[in-house]
Amino acid sequence: MIDSGIDRRDFLKVLGWSGAAVALSGCGNTSIEDGKETVVSYVEANDYMVPGIGVYFNSTCAQCDAGCSINGRIREGRVLKLEGNPDSAINKGKLCGLGQAGVQHHYNPDRVREPLLRKGNKGEAISWDKAYALIAEKMAGVQGDEIALLSGGVSGHLKVLLGNYLDSLNTKNHFVYEAVAPGVVRAANQKAYGVEMPRYRLDKAKVILSFGADFLGAWVSPVHFSQQYAQFRKGVDGQRGVLVQVESKMTLTGANADRWLAVKPGTEGVLALGIINALGTAAGEVADLVKEYSLVRVSRETGVSVSQIEKVTALLKMRSPSLVLAGSAAEGYAHGSQNAAAINLLNQVLGNVGKTIEAPVSVPFPQMVPSKGNTAALKKFNDGLSAGKYKVVFSFGANPVFTAPGAFKFKDNFAKAGFKVAFAHYLDETALQADLVLPLDSALEDWGTQVPEYLTEGAQINIQQPLMEKLHANTRGVGDIVLALLKQKKSEEYKSYEDYYAYLRSALLQNKGALGGGGADDDTFWTDTLSRGIVKLAGSAVGLTGHQNVAGLKLPAVAEENEHYPLYLIPGVTASLRDGRHTNQPWLQESPDPLTTIVWDSWVEIHPKKATELGIVEGDIVEVTSRTGSVKAQVYIFPGIHPEAVSIPVGRGHDAMGRYAKGYGVNPFQIMDAVFEVETGELAMHETRVKIHKTGQRVLVVKDEGAAGALQMGRKIASRVSTDQIDLSKEV
Amino acid sequence: MYRYLRLPILLVGLFLAVSAYAANNSQPALTTEDGLGPQVQQPIEFPHNRHAGLHDASDPNKGGMEINCQYCHTYARRSAVAGIPPLQKCMGCHNSIDSVKDRPRIKELFKYWEAKKPIPWKKVHDLPDFVRFNHERHVKRFVEQQNRPVQEACGYCHGDVKEMTVARRQKPLAMGWCASCHEKDHPVTAEGGTPVDGQAYWYSFQKPVKTSDSALAPKAKGPNDCWQCHK
Ligand code: SF4
Repeated sequence: MIDSGIDRRDFLKVLGWSGAAVALSGCGNTSIEDGKETVVSYVEANDYMVPGIGVYFNSTCAQCDAGCSINGRIREGRVLKLEGNPDSAINKGKLCGLGQAGVQHHYNPDRVREPLLRKGNKGEAISWDKAYALIAEKMAGVQGDEIALLSGGVSGHLKVLLGNYLDSLNTKNHFVYEAVAPGVVRAANQKAYGVEMPRYRLDKAKVILSFGADFLGAWVSPVHFSQQYAQFRKGVDGQRGVLVQVESKMTLTGANADRWLAVKPGTEGVLALGIINALGTAAGEVADLVKEYSLVRVSRETGVSVSQIEKVTALLKMRSPSLVLAGSAAEGYAHGSQNAAAINLLNQVLGNVGKTIEAPVSVPFPQMVPSKGNTAALKKFNDGLSAGKYKVVFSFGANPVFTAPGAFKFKDNFAKAGFKVAFAHYLDETALQADLVLPLDSALEDWGTQVPEYLTEGAQINIQQPLMEKLHANTRGVGDIVLALLKQKKSEEYKSYEDYYAYLRSALLQNKGALGGGGADDDTFWTDTLSRGIVKLAGSAVGLTGHQNVAGLKLPAVAEENEHYPLYLIPGVTASLRDGRHTNQPWLQESPDPLTTIVWDSWVEIHPKKATELGIVEGDIVEVTSRTGSVKAQVYIFPGIHPEAVSIPVGRGHDAMGRYAKGYGVNPFQIMDAVFEVETGELAMHETRVKIHKTGQRVLVVKDEGAAGALQMGRKIASRVSTDQIDLSKEV
Repeated sequence: MYRYLRLPILLVGLFLAVSAYAANNSQPALTTEDGLGPQVQQPIEFPHNRHAGLHDASDPNKGGMEINCQYCHTYARRSAVAGIPPLQKCMGCHNSIDSVKDRPRIKELFKYWEAKKPIPWKKVHDLPDFVRFNHERHVKRFVEQQNRPVQEACGYCHGDVKEMTVARRQKPLAMGWCASCHEKDHPVTAEGGTPVDGQAYWYSFQKPVKTSDSALAPKAKGPNDCWQCHK
């Protein structure tokens, strides 16, 4: 284009001429749709509905589990834009990019619109009555333990209703599965602090040492942490907080760090113990435990230089309180629990427990607290499937056929289940394998309550309510489906609830007093609750123990080099795609990855040194092979990755789901080995080893980063110094 | 040489392509023979004259009812877009006007109401998406500020609606036509007017010219910033 011989002046001439052509031929009409387009008025309108003027409703973001509250702008009965609800202590009026894309979930052209029954390879649209009747029929004579339900994390009244349904079926087989979840960290925290998720106070810390916790991008409650992070950067007492990130693959948080340390994959715990040793403040059994971790040894094992460790140690000594975080990079190994325990021990030695690690609040309604998803659940489910135990299987809120590691052979095992029912928004990989697909309302059409796993100031119940009329007549809310199924079993108990809305309303009204509505009449309380979108509860603080048991802490020897598969595969979890359930929202495909700026495709991150060694340049298509399988993708040369690792982002590589997801990129879950964390049985996501080789093809990597990019066209616009060369005492 | 050849070819090609596209893309003519917008077929022929027309003192069954435009078109003074009155508005009166309930058009109206379906009216006035006409401002300026009769103010753009049955576009609604009014000198301190020196001439009116004759109200031209309409 650039050197095609047409300069700017010519271009403008062409533009002018074509403009003239338009004018001459009569396109200059102003009233373009006169008499053609229909204008639809309201049949009945409330006073607040004025065409052209927006009204705002509060609800809850359902794009991830963080539980941010949203405020949607609705005009002419259509939801146009989502923003954060300022009243929520979690997101305080802010929303992440993934949350913003929620409208594309709602208006998505690939949503399932009718109940579909499998007829060979096709889905035949059937009525809801028929669908429910079919479920009842398939359920007849089936034992409780032959029925299983796989779902994503659930909380609130849906959890209660679902629990009642499973009880009525006499089954305990509810597998709560999240492909990307801090399962190991939760268990380690439980041991160290007595709670699964303490309240992290990034805003109170003067130094944050994060072992692969991408808290600005995709970890636990990113919008909340981003706001705390802003406070942290402003500083507790005017001193800007210093962030040190230790990880093998740079995350968004790592890119923001003052000091980014590339650590050999899996040795995070070694580094933590090394720092405890270097601090020299520990006594007793802790001192005994760490005394072998000399600087030299730690440096050798982790690949972090002695001077770096010394600098970080000095920083931690100088500034207190600090906060040490164990993130997904630390927990993703077979010894993930040990890594996390070592990191938690460091917190304890630094005296952070009680200062930057606070007790969380408990929710006064224990039946509503979230069932948290993890990957151990998938393993159990998969084992059951492979043994052919289940005759009827329900699935919703997860897409295991896409996210299960290839080594699970999940798709084949799933096929062994007798009758498979998927509640789905899209015909995703899992829904495609089902026998019956029940179409769901979008999150902006549905009713619900949600209790977030990570609570901030005080407890809260989030209200989800429709922001507009349903787009498709034949979709249903999850709650409505569960209620209808429950009525099949316990019609007497539930017949008074016409729908899930009625159930929800009466359930909340019954507890009006405890929900802070004592004294108000029902209607006032209800309208008030809906208009706020959040029910704030007092909630009592849970006790925090703050004692990491040293006895069980033993890190394994550093992994041997693997001759056949020399590289670690690090699945990259990005802020916008997460586990890939929203990949069919084109904004998410379109927004450039913050680190590589690549859009609409997958890539393999390779360290420049490794690339030179293998003779690979950017855009080379390489085959990444593990024991389980292989994928082919373009190379992106990335200095932010350990030379012994490669990283492929997860979330892309769908072969179903919809027009914006299908066929873009590759799915690294497919080549993941089935390695498990020893103590918790969680999937060790970072344990897959791979080898790569060039296929000989090369493509142009489609990315926003121009020729300027990291090289800045040689102009040194912003110069770069390696962190080794920075004198920390001047920095602080 | 190559370059000189290429440009004209490109130009001619583009010209042809665009003209062909525009010609095929049958647009209603800018103006019809009588200079008005196209006759629009509506699902119900709404008689504006009967509702907004003048009383006929001799026969109450003829003539109009002099209903204020804003009674039905209430959104015009509240929003940039005037919208269409909700069906409920029609029913508010017609539910209790028994004398016309058997008329075909009213029967039709009831049918929509009972089915709770909106009437699929066709647009009579429409501007391209890059133009943002603001009804509210014009109503505020002329009706509330200057106390002009409502029918006159609406009529600047919509014509003499009280004489029409189904409304038809009366004015070209093209930019030149808008400007022809915005370029006029408007008095900026009529009754209920706005202070002039303290900045607050009406919305974005251009700065008023002060005449030597202090008895005369200062005059100003209407807003002429591009962004007023092209936002
Ligand atoms: S973090 Fe983003 S996606 Fe998750 S709930 Fe909050 S706004 Fe929604």
